[in-house]
Amino acid sequence: MTAGVVEAQELTKRYGEVLGLNRFTSSIAGGITGLVGPNGAGKSTLFRLLAGQLKADAGTLTLLGHPAWGEGEFRRHVGYCPEHSALYEGLTGEAFVTTLLRVDGYSRAEAGERALRAIETVGLTEARGRRLRTYSKGMRQRVKIAQSIAHDPELILLDEPLNGVDPVGRSTLTALLETLQKAGRHIVVSSHVLYEVERLTDQIIMISNGRALAQGDLHRIRALIDAHPHVIDLEAGNPRTVARFLGEWDHVTAIEFPGPGRLRVRCRAPEEFYRALPPLVVREGLDVRSLTSADDNLDAVFRYLSEGGT
Amino acid sequence: MTISAPRYGSTSSERLGRTRRVLAIVRRELRRRAGWGTVAAVVLAFVSVAAVVIVDAEFASLTGTLRLTTLEAPFESPIWPLLLLLVATSAGAGALAEDTGNRSIVLYLSRPIHLIDYVGAKAIACGTWILIAAAGPPLTAVLILTLLGVVPTSIAVSAALGYLAVGLLATIFLTGVALSLSSLTSRPLYAGVGIFGVVLSLFIGAAAVAAITGNLYVPYASPVTLLRSVGLGVFGGPSTPETDPATSAAVLAIAGAVLGAFAAWRASRVEVVSE
Repeated sequence: MTAGVVEAQELTKRYGEVLGLNRFTSSIAGGITGLVGPNGAGKSTLFRLLAGQLKADAGTLTLLGHPAWGEGEFRRHVGYCPEHSALYEGLTGEAFVTTLLRVDGYSRAEAGERALRAIETVGLTEARGRRLRTYSKGMRQRVKIAQSIAHDPELILLDEPLNGVDPVGRSTLTALLETLQKAGRHIVVSSHVLYEVERLTDQIIMISNGRALAQGDLHRIRALIDAHPHVIDLEAGNPRTVARFLGEWDHVTAIEFPGPGRLRVRCRAPEEFYRALPPLVVREGLDVRSLTSADDNLDAVFRYLSEGGT
Repeated sequence: MTISAPRYGSTSSERLGRTRRVLAIVRRELRRRAGWGTVAAVVLAFVSVAAVVIVDAEFASLTGTLRLTTLEAPFESPIWPLLLLLVATSAGAGALAEDTGNRSIVLYLSRPIHLIDYVGAKAIACGTWILIAAAGPPLTAVLILTLLGVVPTSIAVSAALGYLAVGLLATIFLTGVALSLSSLTSRPLYAGVGIFGVVLSLFIGAAAVAAITGNLYVPYASPVTLLRSVGLGVFGGPSTPETDPATSAAVLAIAGAVLGAFAAWRASRVEVVSE
């Protein structure tokens, strides 16, 4: 049997008395794999273990056949985009990517060339000379993705890469990941929003309470989720205008305004919502700045699975 | 926003070796450590220390009493080590703490670098600034005095070697202190307070305890005193060191190495858990 690009066996990580991962076992074969679970499920813990930032308390974890913890030249074949900001605010986007490429071992000239290419790939060419502290949340996500792909890695680990990115940015980043997959790269991408990941791949690992609940094609679970009202928060320059358009959609059941420049949408067909929003934003010129899903309903589905509903 | 398909080469590019990768981090770190605090402390060290050396040597030259011992001036007061402490605080506080705090350590350590290279590069960058402040001012002063013909070349060479030796020792010790305390926190401010506070407290505390008890071993607890003693011992001047220069040098070197190893050990155990 061929070993997967990522192999986890009985992987356990504790934070004091809290279990981050609880005997997590999974095998990732290649292509794009989505790691889906509610906040606090253990996704970021698994990513940090994969990135060599954490040491497992028990079990084994290998990437590309190498143990994840510790130093290794194999890391030049791995790209990592962490969930949270890990940026030198005083650097420009270009200098940030170039610096990390230099640590990867590229000459000054090649690092510069690769940095420009990666920045172009994520659509930041015009902003490459600006300091990172001036970047919006979506731009920061994109520059983090740029550094994770700039050295042409075999395996790319993306922890919640679409979080906080505007709707149009989501579509384009999704297209980028598909392009990377076609170029032969293996991608593990995490999200607490199943629909984001489902657009990329059918290969899904569902994680909850530090355990892999299910792996594979999970359309039935999506149907379960569709039965629950889905909560989506938007930041917009003109929330009432946005609400007027969204209110015309049948699957939108409620719209609230929790604060200035914000609106909360409840809908019954989130997949339809996520598909229809970007064209609406572009067509009507709406100023929608970010899109996040609290996705409390996902917790309910995970509870269902945890209790043996599968 | 527009994106384009990534363009990959058909073969992997040649990567540079370990040394070049370390130097890439060192260069970046040297610039990052060059905050206004570091630059100000270095400038202050240059102005004050060089001025003292030049004035002392000029005066001794006029009175015909210029010897190697004349050039021990920087070590006759605690000003020189305290200025170095300022540089170490400014350049070293954020060395590891900043990366842990802003989580950029995550990106560094996900790269194909050895941990010892990462910590070593931080130490070289921080140490370079301390060495510039430690040896730069007296060396510059001696160079100026030699060019002006005030100090004979033979004395200048001996003095330069002495300044370099004491400067290196100060660098080893203070870099060890800075990195070890920077490895204990994710807040550069706390690390800075720790570096300055610990060394200054030892200086003041040891002096007070020694004065009260008269114990001859207590001054060995003060790095400032130890550095002065080594300086005075190297130049063999009229001022009497409070501690034995050779023992002081050994204490500083060992302490610096142990603290540096502690910082590397701490960094090897860094787990980025913060949310």
